[in-house]
Amino acid sequence: MRFPIVQAIYKKEMLDLLRDRRTLISMMIVPLVVFPVLFRVATALTSRIEEQSETEARTLGIAARVTTPSLRAALEKTGYPLFEREDLPASVEKKSVAAAVEEIPGNPPRIRIYVDNSNPTSSAAGDKIRTAIDELRVERIRQSLQNSGVPENVLTPFTVTRTNVAGARKMAGSAWGNILGYVVLLLMFTGGMYPIIDMTAGEKERKTLEAFLASPATRREIVIGKTFAAMTAIFLTAMLTLGSMVYSLKNARLGGKSQEFKQMMDTIPLDAGTIAMIAALLIPVAIFAAALMFTIALFARSFKEGQSYLTPLVFVVIIPALMGGLPGFELTPALCLIPIFNASMMIHSVLVGDASMVNFGVTLAANLVYAGIAALIATRMFEKESVLFRT
Amino acid sequence: MIQVLEISKTFHDSKRGTHAAVDRVSFEVQAGEVFGLLGPNGAGKTTTLRLLATLLKPTSGTAVLNGCDVNTAPAQVRGQIGFLSGDMRLYARLTPLEILNFFGELNGMEPQWRAKRINQLMTLLGMHDFAGVRTDKLSTGMKQKTAIARTMLHDPPILILDEPSSGLDVPTARTIESAIMDAKKSGKCIIYSTHVMEEAEYLCDRIGVIDNGRLKTTGTMQQLREATGKHRLREIFLDLLGLPQDK
Repeated sequence: MRFPIVQAIYKKEMLDLLRDRRTLISMMIVPLVVFPVLFRVATALTSRIEEQSETEARTLGIAARVTTPSLRAALEKTGYPLFEREDLPASVEKKSVAAAVEEIPGNPPRIRIYVDNSNPTSSAAGDKIRTAIDELRVERIRQSLQNSGVPENVLTPFTVTRTNVAGARKMAGSAWGNILGYVVLLLMFTGGMYPIIDMTAGEKERKTLEAFLASPATRREIVIGKTFAAMTAIFLTAMLTLGSMVYSLKNARLGGKSQEFKQMMDTIPLDAGTIAMIAALLIPVAIFAAALMFTIALFARSFKEGQSYLTPLVFVVIIPALMGGLPGFELTPALCLIPIFNASMMIHSVLVGDASMVNFGVTLAANLVYAGIAALIATRMFEKESVLFRT
Repeated sequence: MIQVLEISKTFHDSKRGTHAAVDRVSFEVQAGEVFGLLGPNGAGKTTTLRLLATLLKPTSGTAVLNGCDVNTAPAQVRGQIGFLSGDMRLYARLTPLEILNFFGELNGMEPQWRAKRINQLMTLLGMHDFAGVRTDKLSTGMKQKTAIARTMLHDPPILILDEPSSGLDVPTARTIESAIMDAKKSGKCIIYSTHVMEEAEYLCDRIGVIDNGRLKTTGTMQQLREATGKHRLREIFLDLLGLPQDK
């Protein structure tokens, strides 16, 4: 194999790819623009829905059919205006009020809250009413105990404390690991799809392959040059996605309940060592993905056909990538042999900070072997006339 | 320079079954000679040229190009040839200059020689005005000039040209014909396939007619005239294929 020839092919493929609009969209625009914009829109929308629900609930108010003054006072404390309505469930359903409360006399009296759980405004109002009533109940119990001369601590014979031994880094790593590996691996395959189809089936369709094959470059040199260009595209997509996700989550404008999530995300453990480990993990996966997709796309005669061959592969990748990020799996050397799953799970472990070097080594070695096998198959296929000149 | 020895290529497909696209074809071409390979569509011309360019492997037989065997040294054969097929296209997103530089690198040309040679060919073919324009913005003629330049770039001793003037206007076709004549004068060995009989008559020193994968005959225009009793190449061609003459 002659390095200058491979280098020339690599340079030409990269130049060609960087001038292709479809490749640029899948490789750069999706991770750098679409992803952050979508994230920003989604988080802004969530915050806005939360705020709007609260405002709307304050405007609509609640229908209250209660006789006990303390209960009415507790409801007034929610800040929602109280109204009288004939048919409580119907008034909630028709959205004339956010929620309704009915006191049914008896011993003890029963309190029924009407909410429409399909409506975020009604649901939020229902939660607030429930909290106010719970506080009232606790207060009433406390008073009863005082009046009876029973000490208040009779209600709490013992206390239970649940302590999370995981530090902030581990918690953030776990939360990140659940999604990061999956998204990065998925986008590696989708990001690599267009460049690879372009340099295989696309070349066949545009009839530029023959001139290439008639040059002194050997088939192996062509495959290696093209695979490295595809690998670069895939790896670049992965790293851009990673960077874009970190930036998006760190700069997300989250409000209300999501604040807690944001605070946890802010402690993302992406130091230089973690990034280096993830990058080292992703390189063999990128070669494997490039060679695998290259082999499959070679059978296609046109760009469209290439898309229909490679799209199912993306679906095949989703499951192991998703499962690898799920908590509950204990990574063993045997599990480290499952492609895609091993990378996803190892990313999770690296982020959590409990990756064992044995598992890391086995994952890396296994993926390198798979990458080598896939590259070998790609070269064999590229030498087949029936594949190259399929009509 | 080129010796084709009983070369055959058989294809297998589910619709047509097994068929011999090229059947024991033999011929020789010398340095400084233009050999025209003529035949109707599907006769086996392109397959023969693809075998010589090592894009396809022969089922049997062989060909030796400037001392390199297509079966045993395909990469070396490709270093000896410039191959152009009418069906070949250029990289649409690259400029002619980028394409020529790329193929120069594939052929192991040193940067200085490459730059000098590119300049020579651009002058010869009148390409300087569009050297930096993306190929997808070029006319058919400009593209074909670029393709010819790419074929001749590394100054190979053998040129294999499959319908290089197909679909071109007269001035562009003439520029390309002139370049081929210059190559012939400088001692290149050229195999030329075309459907344009006048072009073959004008350019080729010897002509071979292929039909159904078999080479019917080879010879100079004079030898073909004597063998068929016809004067024009078009008449000779129809006669050799057993087709009725024009009225």
